[in-house]
Amino acid sequence: MTAMRRDLLLCGLFACAALFWPMISDMRYSVTQTTFFFIWATVVVQWNLVFGIGGIFSLAQVAIFAIGAYVTAMLGYYLGTSMLLAMPAGAVAAVAASLVLGIACLRLYGPYVALLTICVSQVLYVLIVNDTDCFTNPPSGCMPLMGGVRGFSRFGDLGFRDWLGAGFYIGNYYVGLLLLTAAILFSIAIIHSPMGLAFRALRDNPVYAAARGVDRFRYQLWIFGLSAFFTGLSGAFYAVNTGVVGPVVFSFQHLLFLLSMIVIGGIGTVWGPVIGAAVLMLADEAMRELGDFRDIGMGLLLVACVVLMPRGLTGLFQDMARRFAKPADTEGAT
Amino acid sequence: MGHRIHRRSMLKGSAWLAGASAVLSGANGARAEANGEPIPVGQAAPLTDFAAADGVEFRNGLIMACDEINALGGILGRPLEPHFVDTRQMGDATNVQAVQRLIDRYGVHAVINGYNTGSGSAVQDAIADAGIIYLHNDTSSGHGVLIGSDPDRYFGSFQTDPSETWYGSGLLKFLSSLTDGGAFTPANRRLAIILSAGTYSSNIANVVREGAATLGWEVSLYETVNVPISEWGPTLSKLRQDPPGVIVVTHYFPADLAQFMVQFMTNPTPSLIYMQYGPSVKSFRDIAGPAAAGVVFSTVIGALQDEIGLDFETRYKARFGEDAGHNSGVQSYNAAWIWATAAALAGGSGGPGEDAQNRKVADRIRAMIHRGPNGTTRFIAGEQAAASYPGGTDDPSLGMPHQFLQIQDHTAEPVLIAPWPYAKADFVTPPWIAD
Repeated sequence: MTAMRRDLLLCGLFACAALFWPMISDMRYSVTQTTFFFIWATVVVQWNLVFGIGGIFSLAQVAIFAIGAYVTAMLGYYLGTSMLLAMPAGAVAAVAASLVLGIACLRLYGPYVALLTICVSQVLYVLIVNDTDCFTNPPSGCMPLMGGVRGFSRFGDLGFRDWLGAGFYIGNYYVGLLLLTAAILFSIAIIHSPMGLAFRALRDNPVYAAARGVDRFRYQLWIFGLSAFFTGLSGAFYAVNTGVVGPVVFSFQHLLFLLSMIVIGGIGTVWGPVIGAAVLMLADEAMRELGDFRDIGMGLLLVACVVLMPRGLTGLFQDMARRFAKPADTEGAT
Repeated sequence: MGHRIHRRSMLKGSAWLAGASAVLSGANGARAEANGEPIPVGQAAPLTDFAAADGVEFRNGLIMACDEINALGGILGRPLEPHFVDTRQMGDATNVQAVQRLIDRYGVHAVINGYNTGSGSAVQDAIADAGIIYLHNDTSSGHGVLIGSDPDRYFGSFQTDPSETWYGSGLLKFLSSLTDGGAFTPANRRLAIILSAGTYSSNIANVVREGAATLGWEVSLYETVNVPISEWGPTLSKLRQDPPGVIVVTHYFPADLAQFMVQFMTNPTPSLIYMQYGPSVKSFRDIAGPAAAGVVFSTVIGALQDEIGLDFETRYKARFGEDAGHNSGVQSYNAAWIWATAAALAGGSGGPGEDAQNRKVADRIRAMIHRGPNGTTRFIAGEQAAASYPGGTDDPSLGMPHQFLQIQDHTAEPVLIAPWPYAKADFVTPPWIAD
């Protein structure tokens, strides 16, 4: 079986298994948290394309996610746009923003890309929270253009409240599952395509790749643009699912949480980010009651993973599989 | 919870007996022991990060109320079981996820919060979807507007303190009473307004700015600062360049305000300094030290310095230590008593999805006039936010007093200087002006 077929099969199995989760789970909490898992996993699967496959140390993914969320919320809040239209519009806006960032990063390498992209994210955050001028003045008080510290709420939903009543969260669950499945399929298609090979070539040996005719400018724009669509769409869905968007989505803490998912799961692999997202969300849940020790616990987990599993959990699984497979191979050879 | 309060000691000799405990005790009737199935009650509070000084007290207030209510038989024999989720740096997106977790994971019948900065309407929507009761102290005019937009959907959401706009109008009235009564003669009629980014602080600042001229004040500085802030140098330079008669700070983080006072006192201007809420938290005096003396501040919710308020303070500090901030703890404490009393009178509370029962509880809350350690809580019809006295009503028995206090000795509790009939001392000219 080829690697692509194996990944497609795994994706199908994952989606089929997840279909039944709301039916067997007797707790609303586990269903709503799984929806958040779908959102974060979608972001890190796409981030992995830029960071793990493309080798571009970009930290812009959180800003792109936030742009998708904010555009969706603002379209709903100011123009009354249906969320079914606002969500793809948010994703397209995220692609546009990502392309601009891709061009800006073209002459930069390594940590300089990280610095520029984190700067963009933080500047957006500061601009939003420091804007106190009233764009509109509803009875609830001054509303800056980008919502200020308070952000946006009551901008619309996908209609599941009217359709499913108190079970509306199940509708959101399936939208989240669809989003993640599509994002994984997209990621598999990219990684196993000639374009994926070009990304990896530019990551591993840019000079040799250029000598073979791989155009860095074109491919870097492609990777920024392509990964931004699902990231922006996940931001849009996050807005709809939580019913609120505020500047917290730009926070550095949020960025580190997502980046840790890729590191723990395994950089540059199809399933590493998904596994990392699941592990970190479970760990975060287990440590929620610990107050300040929650951050320390998460930090220790990250350090332990980096030291003990430099290739992440998928690397560990691959090593274990190789170890189990070795005796059989040896036996076959003799 | 380790700390057990007995029914007899609860009922004996407490000023509190005059209030809600007597009503709850009567409603519980023969159910003296809270040994039924526990009722989960939740709180989303900033237990860590910059607002933790308040958040910890919100938690303490709810724990203390639950213990006392349980000592009286809980709600019709069912003890209260509090659960807490940290909202860290707060903001609507964080707050709503915390509240959703309380609903989904613990199945809470009510969420009883202090304040969470940056709250809009998202939490109220989550509460409405679950059909439970929500009492908070976000001090937001937006709450009343939201309730008014759809009273049926938001039947269960109550703001147990008045909205922030009373800070602004209340301050202007207070300044007039000081100057008209001859207690204070300002160096000039200029006001400097310092606010932080955010709807809450700017709503207060805007009310002051808009109302200043009609009372003979001119706004000479309107400065927005990025918070949390510890370096006040640039703002103080502007103030020293053109010293105003009154400096109004509508930002409210205690540590930030304490730093302002420490840095202001190195070269003070002859200006009366008014701050809102922050100096009511003890950490303000701890950080500012002697520089805190002379500051005037106000809070629309805090324990009064009367028989019931002082009794609460004594019990609170006996439970949580001498440094505990009873003025913050009173927010969730007062709200928990309102909800528990209403639930007992309504025949019990309901969990998520049990809207019908919780609508009965909400009806009781709306009809209630509750006298707690912070004065009277009475909800304005259509807004479900507490009425303010003297701004919203001229009858002290029908509104929560907007208290003006002054720190006259940084080692002692601030003294209440307004409004009548709760005031305990007169205003004293701040030392940097008197000297």
